[in-house]
Amino acid sequence: MSAALTLSGVSKAYAGAAVLRDISLSVGQGEYITILGPSGAGKSTMLRLIAGFERPDSGRVLVGNADVTAKPAHARGIGVVFQSFALFPHLNVFDNVAFGLRYRAEQPVRDANTVRTAVLDVLQLVGLKGFERRQVTEISGGQKQRVALARCLVSQPRLVLLDEPLGALDANLRNQMTTELARIQRQIGATFLHVTGNEQEALAMGDRVAVLDGGSVVQFDRPRALFERPATPRIAQLLNAYNHIAAGDGTWLIRNDLVQVSTQDAEPGAHAVRGQYVASEYAGSRVLALFDVGAGRHFEVEYHLGHSRPPVLEAGRSYTLCWNPADAQKHPAVH
Amino acid sequence: MLSPTTNPPAALAAPPIRAWRLPAATWLLAPGMLWMALFLVLPMLMMVYVSFWTQTTFTVEPQLTLESWVTFFTTPAYLDALLTTVWLWLAVLLASLVIGYPVALYIGLFVRNKVIQTGLLVLCVIPFWTSFLIRILAWRPMLGSEGAVNLLLMKAGLIQEPLQVLLYSPLSVVIGMTQIYVVFVVGPVAFMLSRIEPSLIEAARDLGASTLTILRRIILPLSMPGVAVGAIFVTIMVLGEFATASALSGRKVNMLGNIIVTQVGSLKWAFASVVGVVLTALTALVVAALLKFAKLREEI
Repeated sequence: MSAALTLSGVSKAYAGAAVLRDISLSVGQGEYITILGPSGAGKSTMLRLIAGFERPDSGRVLVGNADVTAKPAHARGIGVVFQSFALFPHLNVFDNVAFGLRYRAEQPVRDANTVRTAVLDVLQLVGLKGFERRQVTEISGGQKQRVALARCLVSQPRLVLLDEPLGALDANLRNQMTTELARIQRQIGATFLHVTGNEQEALAMGDRVAVLDGGSVVQFDRPRALFERPATPRIAQLLNAYNHIAAGDGTWLIRNDLVQVSTQDAEPGAHAVRGQYVASEYAGSRVLALFDVGAGRHFEVEYHLGHSRPPVLEAGRSYTLCWNPADAQKHPAVH
Repeated sequence: MLSPTTNPPAALAAPPIRAWRLPAATWLLAPGMLWMALFLVLPMLMMVYVSFWTQTTFTVEPQLTLESWVTFFTTPAYLDALLTTVWLWLAVLLASLVIGYPVALYIGLFVRNKVIQTGLLVLCVIPFWTSFLIRILAWRPMLGSEGAVNLLLMKAGLIQEPLQVLLYSPLSVVIGMTQIYVVFVVGPVAFMLSRIEPSLIEAARDLGASTLTILRRIILPLSMPGVAVGAIFVTIMVLGEFATASALSGRKVNMLGNIIVTQVGSLKWAFASVVGVVLTALTALVVAALLKFAKLREEI
């Protein structure tokens, strides 16, 4: 697998405060990579560095085998889909999509028919056939998203950067666009780098997920490996699916869907804690039961309603929460 | 006892309230409408009416005639004034755009700090802290044959003789007016430019456009409503001007405004009304054209 994008030792600081620290990673051609991180982790900066809107303080950015660190944005062959779509409000859908072909400094397409064919093809690809005469101020958020995608894809970039592309859409559209993005990416075979703060989205969409925290890539793995084996308690926290139990010299991580709740005392030697039931959070296909395990710490137990009925729980009553030792992961305390 | 029917549904009570609200809100317009009717619409109708009155040396009689209109359109001096007004307006508008647009571009697009942006715009308005008359008269010691500009040019060895064209010429009128009105271009254009999302420019750059192309294809079109608003301000003020023209041209340059001042001064009300109607029509025409050009209704 040849590398489509390589970052090597990339660092960036603003006014002395490090935003990205020594980031190195390599992305294969045709991979769909999601970059997951909390706000302030440096996701946007990383994207802007790759796109060429910012220069790294140190390190190199390679697209394919070419070092593009010193190249301006437009000479990198990278397409960017902006968080706010950044459509040109005075142009209609067709002219927005045609912008790159017509007005790029290098090898602009002068022939109107070639432009027309390319634009109509890419509009068809993103599912906006027949929208070319519409004003971009008159279409819905999901359609704007597709126009933004089409505008960047029409130049056939090898690498596409998407900055929280689903963030501005409502839940329904988000699910629809998730499928669409995956389909489009497979169809054109370009490498996609998709930045998100949503762990579900990152796991669902990525061939691999890079977890960015505090300006560093703390884990870069396949979704399943990442979800089942988070490298640190902090990553587990970002995945939003683990309970943390402090145990003397370290932390136990217990996935919240692998816990049994019972009214009986735990058997001697079993892995368990006692917790007072607080409340449940109903989320359609699953339900999240919240327990107070002392010192104000919470313990979550998730039930997938399609597989099991949650027991009837009584608020204020104490329960035993136990799990299979093989499902728990122990991490040494970080000093 | 209490059946559902005795409890009137809210829907029944609601319509009268809604129906009452709309005219109530409309009454808010009443003072403004009354003001405009009394002091704008009525005088304008009166002006049109008076322009057809019969003018004798010292009086006007309400006998309808086309005489004043015929005089206006057959006297070269008055047609000259109309022409002068138009070209002075075009010259000042052009100068204001050429000088004002780059300044607005800097303030609106390159200064992203709102505080500094406002500060710079306030700096543009500082000349308005002195009176209109002083601002015009200050050009005399500046542009005169022994004035600052001539002195500097001669000291620098660029000219031997003082330039006479600087003062009491059409040029000095254009300079004086531009200095006063250029800020009305800077403000609206800077406002429109400051509303352009930085990501739009990044997107255009990412798509491969050069700085010049971005300026032409993105920034210029998006700033057009601001240009139109600025141009409307300048148009309205310059077309009605008379003070700058008379103070800086030595009364050699006559605009329609100057004609009105003289005619009113000699009690020629009917003729002054003709010029007033022509001036109003000209202004309305230009403003309507500018509004259409900018499609302001869609943008704002």
